[in-house]
Amino acid sequence: MEAKYDFEKKFREQILQCSRCGFCQAVCPVYGSTLRPALNARGKMLLLKEVMDGKIDLGEDLIESLFQCTTCASCAANCPSGVNVPEIIKQARKDMVHIGSCHPAFVGMNDVLQKSTNIYAEDELPDFGRKRDKKAAFVYFVGCVGSYREDESTEETLDLMDRLAVDYTLISEVCCSGVLEDVGYNLNPKLARENLDRMFSTGAGAVITGCPYCFRTFTHRKEYDELKEKGIKVLHISQFLKDFDFGVKTGKKVTYHDPCDLGRHCGIYEEPRATIKKIASDFVEMQHHHADSLCCGAGGGVRGAFAKNSLSMARRRLKEAEEVGAEILLTECNSCVHNLVNAKLRKQNIKIYNTTAFINELVNKIDKV
Amino acid sequence: MDDQLKAALIEIAGADNYSEGLIDLVSYSYDASQHSARPSCAVWPQTAEQVSRIMALANRLLVPVIPRGAGTGLSGMAVPVKGGIILDLSRMNKILKISIEDRLAIVEPGVVYANLEKALGPYGFFFPPDPASGKVSTLGGNVATNAGGVKGAKYGTTRDYVLALQVVLPDGRIMRTGSRAMKSVSGYDLTRLFVGSEGTLGVVTEITLKINPKPTATSTALATFSNLEDAGRAVSRIMYSGIIPSVLEILGKETILAINKNTDLNLPEVDAMLLAETDGYTKEETDYQMAKIIEVFSSNKALEITQARSEQEAVNLWKARKSAYAVLARIKTHFVLEDVTVPMGKVADLLKGIEAISRKHGIQIATFGHAGDGNLHPQILYDGYNPVDVEKMEAASADLFSLAISLNGTLTGEHGIGISKAPFMSLEHDPVAMDVMRSIKRLLDPRNILNPGKMALDTKDETGETPTHAPANA
Repeated sequence: MEAKYDFEKKFREQILQCSRCGFCQAVCPVYGSTLRPALNARGKMLLLKEVMDGKIDLGEDLIESLFQCTTCASCAANCPSGVNVPEIIKQARKDMVHIGSCHPAFVGMNDVLQKSTNIYAEDELPDFGRKRDKKAAFVYFVGCVGSYREDESTEETLDLMDRLAVDYTLISEVCCSGVLEDVGYNLNPKLARENLDRMFSTGAGAVITGCPYCFRTFTHRKEYDELKEKGIKVLHISQFLKDFDFGVKTGKKVTYHDPCDLGRHCGIYEEPRATIKKIASDFVEMQHHHADSLCCGAGGGVRGAFAKNSLSMARRRLKEAEEVGAEILLTECNSCVHNLVNAKLRKQNIKIYNTTAFINELVNKIDKV
Repeated sequence: MDDQLKAALIEIAGADNYSEGLIDLVSYSYDASQHSARPSCAVWPQTAEQVSRIMALANRLLVPVIPRGAGTGLSGMAVPVKGGIILDLSRMNKILKISIEDRLAIVEPGVVYANLEKALGPYGFFFPPDPASGKVSTLGGNVATNAGGVKGAKYGTTRDYVLALQVVLPDGRIMRTGSRAMKSVSGYDLTRLFVGSEGTLGVVTEITLKINPKPTATSTALATFSNLEDAGRAVSRIMYSGIIPSVLEILGKETILAINKNTDLNLPEVDAMLLAETDGYTKEETDYQMAKIIEVFSSNKALEITQARSEQEAVNLWKARKSAYAVLARIKTHFVLEDVTVPMGKVADLLKGIEAISRKHGIQIATFGHAGDGNLHPQILYDGYNPVDVEKMEAASADLFSLAISLNGTLTGEHGIGISKAPFMSLEHDPVAMDVMRSIKRLLDPRNILNPGKMALDTKDETGETPTHAPANA
């Protein structure tokens, strides 16, 4: 029998390889927050298996499960049967979009990114009081969340780079649009083209991203292959900063949250820690860290589409930070910062920063003295 | 779903704790076995009182109720073969009390094994059964299936630690069994009746567990054998040595070959490997025990014996055993993981018999397991979409069960009967024992609403049911 959907053509063997052991339940952030197995990776694989078996069909009924995945990939990292669930989910979402069954939040996101330059459909890209599109050694690529939602954090990051006398420029950037691949659509090549052209015109030899997701898109998506072809390096800010000396220290208890896009998806665990250990004498890991890190709940479009569960995932993560007595939670992703700050309860005293923003705050304090 | 029942369930548990959505019905159709069947709805109760009201309602309306923990069972015990209400207890997940002076912990059934482990850690205590699914499986599920793990030889299984239970009976009455005291011979041992009853007699809503101080030192060694008899004899001789290892695991040749094919561990391709661990409170103590075990390995023609000199070396020795499940899970699209168990003196006979069965049916069976308590895991690998393969798998399973019984063993050491092994119950239990089991079921659940269709308890299923391991709806 001919496979009806692309997910079956590409992933039939893998879906059948799921032995239903349920071990993903231990690590799935959506399950952890809802205790509803239909939302766990196993639940999703069972839905797709039944679609392949002809027992049910793809359609509206499955949206709540198949579109509720942060693509954090902890299931894949822990699957004894080696099932790459996030890739399967992404393909199934494309098939669902194809037949007209998609979560309205993602239909909206795709519409926005066909017309606008950013996921929030904002009219004006902030310039942070800096000249854009100059000639420079580095391009600093902010990303949508850093431009329009966590702009204060971006401001601090840029201040820090100025202090370090980094020769960088901002560009008239547009959304990398990689997220569309996660929510059932395709990266918008027009947006990619615009970004590439503006990066090239600066003459920069490297692009530094503030956003782990943009980093992933620039390093993993074929639409951005020209970067590699032209020998332009792509660095996440945490990689770029690891060799600097900041001359500041904090005695506060600091922990680090691994963003899924930086950690499990790109294998970058140590550079952020190397920097933090330079500035924090009291560093502590949470219960889940490195490849076992717990997702903040923002990824895969879940923050937009299932806000309540997204916040409850962030609260679980904050609880882990509280359990180890951390006063400062550092991370390397504006999206994680955004979700964790939104989820923080008033009674929780912990402060949440991007590492760069925190360092800049420390430097500011010394300057004032 | 019947509107009156639906309204009543929502009234009892709340709208957020009820679902008849397709995604939930599909997910609750399965556990970790090859069986599946659709329930009508799912409810997540939060209290024993809610469970009691749900049971009373279902009993009155004659609707099956299937209690469920994490759904990691390998025998289909949580699969709703007769439809009905899935009672997912995972939201009753509070650790109610840890009392070190009384050496016990009181928990709700939805507490995940690993979470109790984490809570006991700071006290230097643990709950020993250590099922392989411990990161996900719930203590309620562990009790219902009498779960065991790699430490069974020394520490026993769940049943050895359950002091008391709160149980909701099929008619909704709430009962307490056992005592918080370490010893009690007061009346029938109702607690043990419910441990391993696979959700057929009552719904466990609170569990009182005995806990142990956690040993702080271990010694680990691995031995290879060029033939099975030697490995089997070594297992028996260890019993004579007076040492009870905390772990004594065996890997058979088929498993070793599969590991080599799929990893870079590069194991010696021998007939069998034995992994032993001893535990205690000082290194001297565990090394003393291990020296005795190594003596036994040597005098039984072990080819090579490696003792770990550091924690990292111990981790390395464990690698082959720990990779077994994941390696075997990837070879074919389907597998059945059996858990036949024999007296320790028969482990070699069981292994040889398994090889013969594999040859006879022309189907791959890779074996590993807990030699220390005679509990082996022959994993039958097959393609569930190929009817010929399915037939071979079923025939091989049936032979496996007969073999275990002929060696004075049992159908199942730790996974339970469920659906998979129900047709073989009378192979192990005589007609009188079956009659007593069915009578107990009828006494407690006269309307047969609690997890019906399992363990060959339904009298009408007594004859004529054919063994089935295939995907039920395939």
